[in-house]
Amino acid sequence: MSTLIVGLIVLVIVFFAARSVVRRSKSGGCSGCSGCSGGCASCHQEPSPHDKV
Amino acid sequence: MSIRLALAGNPNSGKTTMFNELTGSTQYVGNWPGVTVEKKEGRCKADKEISIIDLPGIYSLSPYTLEEVITRDFLVNEKPDVIVNLVDASNIERNLYLTTQLLEMGIPVVIALNMMDIVQKRGDTIDVKKLSAALGVPVVETSALKGRGTKELMETAKKAAASAAQPAKHAFSDGIENALSQISGMIRDVTEEDQRRWFAVKLFERDEKVLARFRFSQDVRDKLENIITAVEEELDDDAESIITDARYQYITGVVKSCVKKKKVGMTVSDKIDHIVTNRILALPIFALVMFVVYYVSVTSVGTILTDWANDGVFGEGWYPLGIGRAAYDEATAAYEDDVARRDAWLEAAVSEGIDVSAVTAQLEAEEPDTAALDQAGAALAADADASALVATVVFEDEETGAVTTEEVDFAAFEGTLAAEEPAPEDYGTWIPGIPVMLDNVLGGLGIADWLYSLIMDGIVAGVGAVLGFVPQILVLFIFLAILEDCGYMARVAFIMDRIFRKFGLSGKSFIPMLIGTGCGVPGVMASRTIEQERDRRMTIMTTTFIPCGAKLPIIALIAGALFDNAGWVAFSAYVIGVLAIIISGIMLKKFKVFAGEPAPFVMELPSYHMPTVSNVLRSMWERGWSFIKKAGTIILLSTIVLWFLLGYGWENGAFGAVEDINNCIMARIGSVIAPVFAPLGFGRWETVVATVTGWIAKENVVATFGQVFGFAEVAEDGVEIWSNLAASFTAVSAYSFMCFNLLCAPCFAAMGAIKREMNNGKWTAFAIGYMMVFAYAVSLMVYQFGGLITGEVAFGAGTVAAILVLALMIYLLVRKPAKADAGADLRKMSVQANG
Repeated sequence: MSTLIVGLIVLVIVFFAARSVVRRSKSGGCSGCSGCSGGCASCHQEPSPHDKV
Repeated sequence: MSIRLALAGNPNSGKTTMFNELTGSTQYVGNWPGVTVEKKEGRCKADKEISIIDLPGIYSLSPYTLEEVITRDFLVNEKPDVIVNLVDASNIERNLYLTTQLLEMGIPVVIALNMMDIVQKRGDTIDVKKLSAALGVPVVETSALKGRGTKELMETAKKAAASAAQPAKHAFSDGIENALSQISGMIRDVTEEDQRRWFAVKLFERDEKVLARFRFSQDVRDKLENIITAVEEELDDDAESIITDARYQYITGVVKSCVKKKKVGMTVSDKIDHIVTNRILALPIFALVMFVVYYVSVTSVGTILTDWANDGVFGEGWYPLGIGRAAYDEATAAYEDDVARRDAWLEAAVSEGIDVSAVTAQLEAEEPDTAALDQAGAALAADADASALVATVVFEDEETGAVTTEEVDFAAFEGTLAAEEPAPEDYGTWIPGIPVMLDNVLGGLGIADWLYSLIMDGIVAGVGAVLGFVPQILVLFIFLAILEDCGYMARVAFIMDRIFRKFGLSGKSFIPMLIGTGCGVPGVMASRTIEQERDRRMTIMTTTFIPCGAKLPIIALIAGALFDNAGWVAFSAYVIGVLAIIISGIMLKKFKVFAGEPAPFVMELPSYHMPTVSNVLRSMWERGWSFIKKAGTIILLSTIVLWFLLGYGWENGAFGAVEDINNCIMARIGSVIAPVFAPLGFGRWETVVATVTGWIAKENVVATFGQVFGFAEVAEDGVEIWSNLAASFTAVSAYSFMCFNLLCAPCFAAMGAIKREMNNGKWTAFAIGYMMVFAYAVSLMVYQFGGLITGEVAFGAGTVAAILVLALMIYLLVRKPAKADAGADLRKMSVQANG
């Protein structure tokens, strides 16, 4: 029983961790790091807005 | 009534400081849609009805940069209720240029005359009432840094939002006004009255974005062109310059009437810059600053804190404020000395053929029986040989290295049998480490072995190893925040421009690298500011050579485990990064595809000011929290996968949990690749696996070592994980390993950023490939030449390969450069903002 309960706790933690990674990579928002200049390790970025010459 | 307030102003005018002051923690940080420019929104903490949007810092509302287009699109399309224009009072002329344009947008404007404390310190005066009358809008004195004037500013902004916008007071010359009037007539039906003037001015300037917005017919375009051309011929200048010149004439008049400058020599900032950006002193000063930063972060203060984290929080445990530590350490030392005496006597007894099995059986038992031990001791006392035996024990002082010997007779040996390992809780308030607490809890619950292993050997070992370096990370970020906040970091790009220019790059290429000291992803993205495609590509390829925050644990690990926390190791990592950039720049510039003169570099140097505690701590916390969150997400998930790959494999013909870690799945995969790295000094599967997992997140290198070398077992036997690691490396191979991991391909997130910025599969592959080859070459030379010096490497094929690599590098550095491609013009960077 204790294995089941602890295992479930671990699963919940893993679920939230995975959800956080997926969400941050899709949302385009940053984690709020003031030094990241709009990007961070998990940001999903739109294609570069460079125009062709 | 809800009010939308937009903060606009030049970069370094104090907008972000004002925004943070007004909103506090009630802010949301994201990106403007479709782009990576930061968008900040928040609620005024003093009045929740006011929602504040922090617009990007801009110098004008021209259509040339992403930030400018975002700002003007927001003001034209979203039409906030009021604009608060932050004007840096210490640079009022330059700041008013944007003001004159904001006043034409038909939105109520309130000017926040910021940094008035700097103006007052200089002895200058600004007649705020006259300024307000001249511009036709309210002006409020503020000091965002000190929180002054913010209440009055918000009240004034609320009043302004409730009233209609005042028409811009400044007028151009008759000829220009006439032209603007005609253009206004042309767009009367398709524009709102309050925005008409701004559109008219932009059309007069032939603003591409505005022209595209209206989609005029050819007749209308021709008529517009005639109006503009007439004025250009009359004033003998182009339309954009005419308007710019007119604005500055107006500004000059306003400043003359409102600002009185005290005649002084150099400002404090100028005096400091005289030294800090001096042609000869600049670079040594920069080197010294970075040495101090890394020395304190990694070696001195950082090490103390990380030792507490690794040995305490994620180790056996710790005493708050160290109370009890000295007494416990003394008791532990005395116990260990007794154990040494006891073991020496027993060894001597065994060599004399004395039967000590009864005693050793009790000593090795999990729970020794005291009575049985006493009985065994008494039996030995009755043995004549045993009672006459005198052994010798050798003690070595760890600090001084002094060696002393001591004789241990039977009485002394018998005394050691009663020695008990001191319990730390007997000497003060003892807080057990997380692995110990978890071990007690999980052991008490009696969970399944595999789950216990997953938690302790997987998650705690991996994540704990990384989190142990959080204190060093925080100390580093404090220093970087101080350097940024005081204004010194802006000078570094200027200093490096002088050096970079010799190698065909400009200081603009160093700005992404400065950003990369935090994280390589925004560093790569910051390359967008570089107009020349060839330089931009080269910057993207080399930005991640600079050690980012995630690589710091690797540096600290190597410095701590192999070099006894020597101060030069961390600093040398930074130097290696900079040298790699310079060497790469020189080599790549010799190729036709990268050849050409660097672009001119112009940048604003903000005035120096004392960094504020709140700004520094906020910056440190935001970056540090990002690091911690990463540990709890990506690294956590990686360690779980790695736990499985390290704990399961084929052993004795069957798949399952392995006894010998060398039979695990990861070992089998790693062993295939490991020989490739043998010439670099770390051809073991453990180090290869660590390097590969580092591509998920660089911190994973440390996490992997934590799992491979049993980090959680510190709680059980007290053996330092890092001494286990030290046994796997020599100093040279460790340094080679560090070099490879610093210079090789960055993490997947950064690789993704490279892919997006290159926007070309071949260039992306080339960039990644170049980094890998460069890292391999450098590590090869470090290990082979270093190993020759230390004697651990014999002259052989590896050495020859290293010599050839060095020769090739020298050739690539000194050969004549190729001529620049005639077709590779400056890439004009025009911008599209989506959304």
